[in-house]
Order: sequence, then structure tokens, then C-alpha cells
Amino acid sequence: MPKIEVNEGLFFSLLGRRMERAELDLALQSAKAELDEWDTGTGGAGSAASDDGASARVIKIELNDTNRPDLWSTAGLARQLRLKDGATRPNYPFFSRQGEVQAASRRVIVEESVGSVRPFLAGFCVSGRGIDEAFLKDMIQTQEKLAWNFGRKRRSISMGIYRSAKIQWPVLYRAVEPRSVRFVPLQETREMDLLQILAEHPKGREYASILEGEPLHPLLLDSAGDVLSYPPIINSADLGAVQVGDTELFIELTGTDLPSVTLASSIVACDFADLGWKIEPVMVEYPWTTPFGRSVVFPWYFQKPLGIEAGRASRLLGKSLNVQQVALALSVMGSSVDIHGQYVSAWPAEYRNDFLHQVDLIEDIMIGVGMEYFTPERPRDFTIGRLTPIELLSRKAKGLLVGLGYQEMIYNYLGSGKDYLEKMGIDGTKVIRVANPMTENYEYVRNSPMPGLLGTESISSKAAYPHRIFEVGKVAFRDDGQNYGVSTRQYLGALSVHADSDFNEVSSQVATLLFYLNREFSVEEPVAGAEDPRFIPGRQAIMMYRGTAIGVYGEVHPRVLSAWGIGLPAAAVELDLDLLLA
Amino acid sequence: MDARSIAKSLHPLEVKVLLHYGPQEDLDAGRLIHDLGYKEGQANQAFSWLSAKALATEAGRSARIVYELTPFGRQAAVSGTAEERILKHLADTGPARLPDIVLALGLEQKDVGSAFGQLSKEGALSLDGEKRAVLDPTWFVTAHANGKKPRLAIVHDLIAKAAASADGIIDDAELNAAGKSAMAGIAKKRGAGDSVFRTADREIVTYRLSLSTMDVRIALQAEGLTGDELGPVTSDILARRSWEGATFRPYNVKSPTARLMPGRRNPYVEFLESVKDKLVSLGFEEFDGGLVETEFWNSDALFMPQFHSARDIHDVYHLADPVKAKSIEEPYLSRVATAHETGGESGSRGWNYSFDKEFTKRLILRSQGTVLSARQLPTAKVPGKYFGIARCFRYDRVDATHLSDFYQTEGIVIGEDVNLRTLLGFLEMFAVEVAGAKEVKYVPGYFPFTEPSIEVHIKHPVLGWFELGGSGIFRPEVTESLGVKAPVLAWGIGIDRMALMALGLNDLRELFSPDLENVRYRRAKL
Repeated sequence: MPKIEVNEGLFFSLLGRRMERAELDLALQSAKAELDEWDTGTGGAGSAASDDGASARVIKIELNDTNRPDLWSTAGLARQLRLKDGATRPNYPFFSRQGEVQAASRRVIVEESVGSVRPFLAGFCVSGRGIDEAFLKDMIQTQEKLAWNFGRKRRSISMGIYRSAKIQWPVLYRAVEPRSVRFVPLQETREMDLLQILAEHPKGREYASILEGEPLHPLLLDSAGDVLSYPPIINSADLGAVQVGDTELFIELTGTDLPSVTLASSIVACDFADLGWKIEPVMVEYPWTTPFGRSVVFPWYFQKPLGIEAGRASRLLGKSLNVQQVALALSVMGSSVDIHGQYVSAWPAEYRNDFLHQVDLIEDIMIGVGMEYFTPERPRDFTIGRLTPIELLSRKAKGLLVGLGYQEMIYNYLGSGKDYLEKMGIDGTKVIRVANPMTENYEYVRNSPMPGLLGTESISSKAAYPHRIFEVGKVAFRDDGQNYGVSTRQYLGALSVHADSDFNEVSSQVATLLFYLNREFSVEEPVAGAEDPRFIPGRQAIMMYRGTAIGVYGEVHPRVLSAWGIGLPAAAVELDLDLLLA
Repeated sequence: MDARSIAKSLHPLEVKVLLHYGPQEDLDAGRLIHDLGYKEGQANQAFSWLSAKALATEAGRSARIVYELTPFGRQAAVSGTAEERILKHLADTGPARLPDIVLALGLEQKDVGSAFGQLSKEGALSLDGEKRAVLDPTWFVTAHANGKKPRLAIVHDLIAKAAASADGIIDDAELNAAGKSAMAGIAKKRGAGDSVFRTADREIVTYRLSLSTMDVRIALQAEGLTGDELGPVTSDILARRSWEGATFRPYNVKSPTARLMPGRRNPYVEFLESVKDKLVSLGFEEFDGGLVETEFWNSDALFMPQFHSARDIHDVYHLADPVKAKSIEEPYLSRVATAHETGGESGSRGWNYSFDKEFTKRLILRSQGTVLSARQLPTAKVPGKYFGIARCFRYDRVDATHLSDFYQTEGIVIGEDVNLRTLLGFLEMFAVEVAGAKEVKYVPGYFPFTEPSIEVHIKHPVLGWFELGGSGIFRPEVTESLGVKAPVLAWGIGIDRMALMALGLNDLRELFSPDLENVRYRRAKL
């Protein structure tokens, strides 16, 4: 979930009025956003921040909806709040659309060669009063959030901004042999070829994996042959270095998916327009036919309308809404709407493309109407509640173990190979290993409650004896007969440690437990050579229930005790409770 | 403690001492044995307890010699000494040869020999011509003439006195010259097995009662305590009904209690079970599932696109071996794939990408409890309510607020008529019934598998405002693919913060504490 910093002065000027903390908190709900941090300086929490110094302060905001990249900028977020606050939908006349294409004096020519590596580009120019510090910072943030969160860390979208006045049009987008081109990238003073940039430039190293294995790399250059950028890695230090005061810019986005790249360019264009910049469309000429045509003039409106019946929305929201209410709510959320009888057609706002299904419209209606409009209603359906059979059996077993003097414990399910395998003296062929552990301390899924119990004993020698502890919980292990190749079971494990603990103690307790669980079980000796290495040979018993081995108990092997640093005798039982339900 | 409390806390052995003696007196075990009929151990116990309460202090120590009756001596106290028995035998049956006396009395030959030697030296008997021992008929009178006491009688008295005392001991200081002389003949320091007395060195400790015992004594008298009250109720007391008319020694009901270590449930598990019980009481049926899941059920079935950023390699744990499930259940695999690609019959336009049917088989550790909700859908009853508290795994650095595995509480409500307001109704029920909240607010939220989505925030009496959980109505792309036509409310509530508060903890790792002492002392506040 992206977090953004908005410039306080810029934000409130775009919003049209100042808000206090409590009001902003509430207003942000319409954007599924949360106020993360707002140091209002002298005012303190809750007080009305003064205008003084607002342009130097930032508000940190967390945005929850990953399908609304339009909200990840100062202008975009302010726009949503402004609409909810009663403002009319902004007009963005610079958009081209099917049958209504704007004039474009500048062109970008996409060459065949980028088709296999990064085939799509959208772009436009802007001119205005000059970039100030706050807006430049905001623009860099927008670029980062779009490319990182929406563009999967630049893999599917990256963005570049250039000083358009110095560009010799048309601009060319082509793929080149990476050793064949040299230019000075941003944050550098020397010319480097593309592979050098990937190997030596910090941005190159960070994003090199995107171009791994590609014979040709994307490059953007102007008609004079000067490099604009090396997408999605780095801009040129010359044409691609934007500074405070620049009044004419070229903005482009490249990527692997045309709708995403197009939407991202629309979002940026609307942000510039809201800040009073003039958007100058650019024609991008493809060597092949795209879903939007062979030549596409950006910003391009490609979204499709989606219709909803007022009754459908009312049913899912549990509140009767008429068609006017539905239309109004949708338009508050930025859509442009037409009413046809009981239906509302919603054309998504230029900067949005998140209506996959009618339910997405319904949520917009909910937010547009306002949460306060919907009151909780008690459910009317009658259903019977019940616990699972294994939960009920587990609770019975826990009650009996408590009666036998055992303290219940609960452990994590991930642990180290040292604890789960080495110290237990088992070979581990059935133990599940995580392929991408964060550390070796959380590398294996436990196959038994015993390591947890022994771990407790190993750190509890100062606790008053006797120690009788147990746990009922899940274990998992490899099981080739299953579709997943693994099984998850509910196990009971108990451990008794004190000077006189022995086989007789645990065998009597196991017999008592099973007696009161009302399960007839028998005991077998392990086959010679197939003893459980965790227990002393000759002092371990296999529990049999209906012809199946359900568990084992006995005296813990001194080799295991010594591996855990335990200095007293211990007896333990491990029991598969799921098998008792068979 | 005031005198009255002290008085009530005293043991009968202490009570009697305080009632019997004043602060000026030098007391020792001997006096208590003599005056109060204590055994030596009881006397020492009384001094020890009184000293611990500062009611008595040691006044001095001195050494003394005591004579302790041996088992042999105790036998003599019952049936007489060898000398006495020989005299009596001769008086009853007339002169007898020594071997015959040994046989008749069942004595050791050496004992008869030494007794005869001693008696003949004192003139009580002699041997006649047939080597028979014969009584001197005048000896008894001579020996007792002028109030004299023969050694034989002195020895008899010493034995009788020792046998009558509680511990079979005679203090050397109690003996006169004749007594000392007689004792010298019958007591030995070492190898006293065949002697009547064993000589021993004892240390006498003298105590004095403190002045404050005068107040305690008054209090004892005021309470009517005599030290003769009954102690523990025994089967003997019950059988003899000796409690009738007697009073019971009052115990100090405020005395510190012993630490016990009962078998006990784990407070965190109990908390989890209480949440389960609450949900069952609200009509929810529990579901459960495996720790290992496929990408399919963990995410794809929930309409999270395979390119979603939350599905990166560093957000879930996957298995080293096996890596993939053998198959994914049909028709769900095909339907879910279609929903992702084009929306299928769900009315959605889909995510518009090519669904990877191999990737979807990848095995991972369950990362969200919603898996269980998805798995329940194909067989769910309508109407139906289900929940589970599921252990989930996250690729997070473990710290006070993150665990590698932890519980999520999740559930679904299916019904032809459920809607946003019923969802709010459930959230309100959870807030009030499960979390004990007084104020609730509902905020639009975002989850990939629900639309609309709602977060519920509550004002907890202790924690203040916080997000209790997330919820929403399952997207039709989720439900239709899994064969459910009715709307499905899905919810998850975070109960760990409440658990921490209930247990007085502030670190999530503590919930799974392996430290036994720590867990033994842990108590739930609620």
C-alpha cells in the first residue's frame, strides 16, 4: 500500500479550502486513505494549522486501494476530496478518444525493434508557469509511485520527464544493441554505454533484472540523435534533467501493457491540468496496430462505460436508492453519467480504470452517497453454530491433561533445522522446508510438538519442578499420497521432566487419557531397527487404534536431552488426534 | 503485629510456655520437660518458634553431663536388674549354683558373674561348700540400718526415675554423691550396649522471655487460649469424638500460602477459544484446513491477479519440496482462470492477462485465513455462517508487532438477502460482543477479493480507537467461480491486540512464549 507525502500548501490550495485534522481524517475516507502523520507545527494536534509555513510542511498519507493509482499524488488526492466536498467534475478537453482526436503538433515514432522488449509508449507535452520546488518534488513522487506500485517496480510501467524545448522532434523510440550507444545518464558526468549503466549506475543495478536476457534494449532519442532516456532505467543528464523553473516539458511512459501505460499517462496529464498547466497532445505512431489504433494521440481516453440498475445497487447495499441518487453518487466519484430509465451508465473518470464489474460501481455509489447513510442491520437468517469435531476432541484432551497436572503451552510453527532436525536426531526426510526463509531460524515447518516442549525445558531449568507441559496444535509433514504431497494434522504432545519421570509415569498417564477419551487402544513395540530415535530403545511404545499407529510415548533419549541441554530425565508422548476421530 | 494477633498465631507449645513463665526466669529444655511435661524435642521447638518471633532470647549456654537409659536399661526397668533378679531367685528357691541361675533366669553368664561378684563384695551373699550361692540372712537389715540406702536400692531408684521421665534422661546435676557413685557403676560413655545408662555431654541453652510476652499473655488469657486446643483434625479425633467439648486451635488465616503448580490451560489459547465460543454463539460454524496451500486457493480463487504486487516471492513462503500440487480441483481451476482472463460468466471484464495454470499449483504456507473461506464456498450451505481461527504465515522480520506465523480470525456469511447493511450488522455484533466496544465506525476499505470493502474501527475501553477488522462482500468473480450465486459477506477480525491487552502484554512474541515460569504466572485480565 503506497504512502505519499503531500505538500500542505499545495494540497489545500488544490482542495479549495483548508481542513482541520479531524475533518481531513473523515474526508480521506472517500479515498480509502488514512492520515499517517501531519506535523502542523505550532498548532498542535487537532488545531487549525495556519497558512504560515504550510508550503514547507508535508502531510503523510497512506492509500489502501491498489487499483486507484490516480490518488497517489497531491493533485489526484485533492481532486477526489474536492469532488466529495461538492465541487463539479473537472473538464479535461485535451483528451482524445475514438472519433474525437485532438490536434497534435509533435510526434513520437515507435520502431519495430521495441516490440519484443517494451512495446508501448504514451506521452504528451505540457507548458505552464514554471515548476516550483513543491511541484517538482510531487512529480518525482508520482513518477515513483506509478512505476513502483502500479508499474510493478518499473517492470510494466516507467516514466520519464524531459525539457521539451531542447528536443528535436519527432522523438524516436527504438531498441538498440546495448554496447552501441553511449550517453551521460543522470547523476553521472561521463558517457557510459547501456551495459555499463546496468553494471555501474545505482539505478542500473537496481533495475537491471528487468532487461536481463534481452539482446536489444529500449532507448528514447530525438531526431538530432541525442538520448532522452534509457527506459526503464535512467534519463539522460542533458535532455532528461528537469529543474525548478522549467516551463515546457515532455512526459512519456513506456511499458508492457498499453492500457496501463495509457491510464498512467492520463493520470499525470490530469494532475498537470489541475495545477493550471496546458496539456499539448503528442501523436505516437506505432509500426503495428494497437488496440487503440496505429497512431494514438495521447492523452487518450480508452475506458468503457459500465451500466448499473438502481435496484441492483439498492439490493447489494441494503438501502433503497433511486436512479438520481445513484447517478449523483457516481458523479461525485468522478464518473460522467447518463440516466436511461432505471439504468445509469457510468463513463469512468479519465484518470480511473478500476470498474471491472458492477460491484465496483456499487462501491463507488456507497462512498459517493456516504457511509453515514448506511446503518447496521441485524441478520435475519437462522444458522446453527458449531465447533469442528477435532476442536471438541482437542478440548476434551486438554481438560484431561490439565487434570493430570500439565501446563498448556503454545508455540510457533516455523523453526530452525537445528531445533527440528539436529537436536531431535531425526533424518528430516518428512519435514517440510521453506524454499525462501527469511532467516534459518524460520526455515522448517514443524512436524511435531516435541521440539517446542523440549525448547521450553531447555530454558526453564530454574522453574520449580516438576515440569509437566503439553500442547495441542497443528503439525505438517510430507505425505506423497496427498495431492499436495503434504499432510496437516492436529497433534497432542506432552512432556514430563523431573527427577523421577520415567516410562511408567507417561504410560499410566497415556492410558488414563485414552480411557477418558473413550478410545480403546493397544500398545506395540517398535520393530527392531525401526525405533523412534527420539526415545530410548526398549522404553518406547507405539499406540495402536483401529489397526493404525496413532502415536508414540516413552522415555526421551539422553542423546536428545543432551542436545537440548536438559539435565533431568524426561518422558513424552506424541499423539495424532485426527486419527482418533477415524 | 499487636499482642492479640501474636497470641492468635501461637502454637500450643508456645502458649503454654507464655502462660507458665514470666520474663525474669531462666528457662531451658529441662524445665519445660519437668514443668510442662514436654518432650525434649517439643521444648526445643517451643524455644525456636518463640525466638523467631522475638518473644524469647537466648540468655546463655552451659555444658552438662546426662545419663540416658539404654535399651538394656529399659529392659531392667521392667524386669529388674540382674542383681535384683538373682537375689529374688535365691530368696524364692534357696541356694543355687551359678550355672543353674544363668539357666533359670535366662541371663548371660558374664552378667551373672559380675552381679555375684558385686553382691558378695557387699556381703549380700556368699558361696557354700557345694559352690552354691547362698543369701546372707542378715544383710538386708544391716544394709538398711539407720536409714542407710544400699547401692542396689539407689540403682533401682535411678532406673525407675529415668524410665519415668519423658526422654529417659537423668541430669548429672540432679544426683547426690551416692547417686553419682552408683551411676558410675552402671553408666558407660562408649560401648554402653550392655550397660544400663549411656553417659553423654549435653549443651544447655538458657532462654528468657521478652517483656512483650506479658502483653501476649494477657491477650492469651483474654482469648481464653490455654494451649490445650485441638490441632489438626485426625481420624483418631473423629473416631474417638474427642472434638466434642474441645476447642480447636485457631490458625493464622493470614499466614503466607504455599506456591502450588496446578495443571493449567494456556491463557492465550483460552482467549482464542473464548473467541471461538463467542462466534459459535452467534451462529457460526467452525472450519479448518491445512497449513500448506496452493497459490490457487491462497490467492487465485480470491481473484488476486497473478501479477499482483502482494504475490511477489518475498511476501509468501513457498515450499522447497514438494514444489507443486499434483492437480487443482476442477471445475474450479478452469472457472477461476477464465474469471481472471476475461471475467467469464461473472459479469466481470477480468484482469485481462494470461492465467498461468502451472504457477497456480505452487505450494505455499497459507498466508491468509481467507483461504478457508474460499475453500468452504463450494460446499457451503445457503444460508450459512462459517468462521475459522487459522494459523497463517508471513514473510516478515519477527519483532514485537510481526510474527512469522500467527492467527487470523476469518469468516463468511452466505444468504440470498445479505447486503452491505447486514455486513455492518455483523461488524457491529463483533465489535460489541467479541471486542466489548462501545463505539463503532465503518470506513470504506480495499481488499482484492471484496467489493464493496469496509474496515471496522472500534473504540475499545482500554486501547482507544483502532481497526478491528476488514470485511466486504466477496466479488462475484470469487463466488461465481466457486459455484455460489448468493452474495457472500467476508470478514476478518484482528484479535491479537485484544489478546495482548487481556494478558497484559505488549509484544506479540510473548503470546507464544516458551518460558515455563512466565506462562505459569501469566493471567488473563478478563
